[in-house]
Amino acid sequence: MKSLIIGEASNGTISSGTLELISKVTQEGLDFKLVTVGSDENPKIGSDTFKNTYMKLNQNELSLASVADEISKIITSESIDLVLASSTYVGRDIAGFVSVDLNASPVSNVVNFKIDGDKLSTTNSIDGGESDYLTNVTSEVKVLLIRPKSFEASVIELNDNYETVSIEKNNLSVAVQDIFIEEKTGPQLEDSKIVISAGRGMVDVENLKFIEELANKLNAAIGGTRAIVDAGWMPYSQQVGQTGKTVKPDVYIACGISGATQHQVGMKDSKFIIAINKDEEAPIFQIADLGVVGDTLSIIPKLIDSL
Amino acid sequence: MKIAVCAKQIPDPAIAVTYENGTIVRPDEQVLDDTDRYGIEVALQLKEKFDAEVTVISMGKLGTQKGIQQALQMGADKALVIEDESLKNSNSLMTSNVLSEIAKLAQADIVIFGTESSDGYSGVVPQQVSRYLDLPCISYVKGIEINDEILLTRQTITGSEKVVMPSQCVISVTASGVEPRYPNFKDIMAAKSKVVEQVNISSINFTAKQNQEFIEIKSISNDKSGEKHVDEGEAFNLIIEKLKEIKAI
Ligand SMILES: Cc1cc2nc3c(=O)[nH]c(=O)nc-3n(C[C@H](O)[C@H](O)[C@H](O)COP(=O)(O)OP(=O)(O)OC[C@H]3O[C@@H](n4cnc5c(N)ncnc54)[C@H](O)[C@@H]3O)c2cc1C
Ligand SMILES: Nc1ncnc2c1ncn2[C@@H]1O[C@H](COP(=O)(O)O)[C@@H](O)[C@H]1O
Repeated sequence: MKSLIIGEASNGTISSGTLELISKVTQEGLDFKLVTVGSDENPKIGSDTFKNTYMKLNQNELSLASVADEISKIITSESIDLVLASSTYVGRDIAGFVSVDLNASPVSNVVNFKIDGDKLSTTNSIDGGESDYLTNVTSEVKVLLIRPKSFEASVIELNDNYETVSIEKNNLSVAVQDIFIEEKTGPQLEDSKIVISAGRGMVDVENLKFIEELANKLNAAIGGTRAIVDAGWMPYSQQVGQTGKTVKPDVYIACGISGATQHQVGMKDSKFIIAINKDEEAPIFQIADLGVVGDTLSIIPKLIDSL
Repeated sequence: MKIAVCAKQIPDPAIAVTYENGTIVRPDEQVLDDTDRYGIEVALQLKEKFDAEVTVISMGKLGTQKGIQQALQMGADKALVIEDESLKNSNSLMTSNVLSEIAKLAQADIVIFGTESSDGYSGVVPQQVSRYLDLPCISYVKGIEINDEILLTRQTITGSEKVVMPSQCVISVTASGVEPRYPNFKDIMAAKSKVVEQVNISSINFTAKQNQEFIEIKSISNDKSGEKHVDEGEAFNLIIEKLKEIKAI
């Protein structure tokens, strides 16, 4: 099966989601080509073992529709059978556009796939990760949107060996007026060994200072539930769950989080889960390795003082 | 300005979803997907400013139409709906193919979506519709400022960015940013007399096909039944001991 990975460049290199796809495709022994989308200047995204085309965007234009035009052309001219993208903002936009060109519906929320000759079957995560939905994909071209962290990322040596295509704007491009980069300090959610997440059970935005202090002491990254992100306590980039980030740290500490399935799907594969919640029946306890039934506002300050 | 806002009726989220041969069992009474309230709110803010006409578009089992009514109660003007046996268990491309055709019937300049539905969450329907309609796609919108021009704030991986809304486009709206309104008694009564028109599948141009064969559903047992302790003032020590035991500190 000839495959194409729609990858992303971030912080001057290949994103972790893209490395996960490369690892899976390599493991399956598939012939693949990589197209990497980004706006960084001269990122290190090349390799001597696979071909990479860098589709360089102008960050002052929304022009993923033009990128999709290019990718659809490659898929047709190179008779690609399998198209893989991470289920990220960029991945979803491009896969959505390309699927219309190819008349092949993308399969979303894929957490695994298997290839047997020219047959492809997928495992899709449904009901907020409570069940797996197994299917055979029957379209000629198969487009899969893979949930991040489904595969272990490859460790590969990257160099400058790639081709660059500058994406020009077209009639569907929209000019960007203003760009705001959220300042990120401390460890990043996706690759931190310890993640401390807050939910509505922290009671008030003021109390997030305890989460920050605890995170400082443990050198941990900070996450949160959609409930507190919607309430404006935390930026969206820190949301863990179905519509936010997926994390798999060594330790995940859930503070005042009920454990809705949509939250669980983003963290349940963490190696060790500690939950603090005053409600003994909270669903988070079903997946916690260590559950503490109690008040976050009494337990966390003591924890900070004793560390 | 004509606005179409796509909204889905889903089974009550408080009740666990059940499946029959891989297809979600849909009760007669379905409710408006919460995700879509954000898109409807954006549509209504535009309506208030520009006297736009807002049409709700919905595909799927109609049943008691509770969810459609909820969308109309928020303040949309009318609804175009479609239900057909052949659309049961549609994939995202079939859904977006149908929704695009209905958006054309509504002569919409602006087509608004949620970012992902609560039951299906394929998360690509807005992008696909923009492609079918050959319109710019402004995805993951989390804020709108209506002045001389309309500024949309998009969520990005690194933060956010602002774009001027083109006069014709597709928008997907994420939760947060806007606060969906609650209808009052008057709105609820007014909705009853709004037009809900059913579109016949034979009147639209439909080419997308099913491309997944269902094999099976496997439920994942998440139950770890780890230790659970009630805090009597000293539970913080348990956490510290555990962190040491697993060598996290
Ligand atoms: C389509 C869709 C997508 C979604 N995506 C996400 C997502 O990506 N991420 C996400 O997180 N959610 C998501 N949600 C929302 C999810 O369903 C829950 O509503 C949300 O996770 C709840 O957040 P919470 O645990 O902070 O709040 P709550 O559910 O309100 O829970 C608060 C908990 O705190 C406990 N508590 C209260 N006070 C204290 C105290 N003093 N000490 C200790 N415990 C206390 C309570 O017992 C309760 O269990 C999504 C929902 C939908 C429909
Ligand atoms: N059957 C449907 N009827 C109306 N709108 C829909 C339907 N399915 C999806 N949508 C729209 O597409 C958005 C994204 O849905 P999805 O791609 O299924 O996650 C939703 O928030 C709705 O706005």
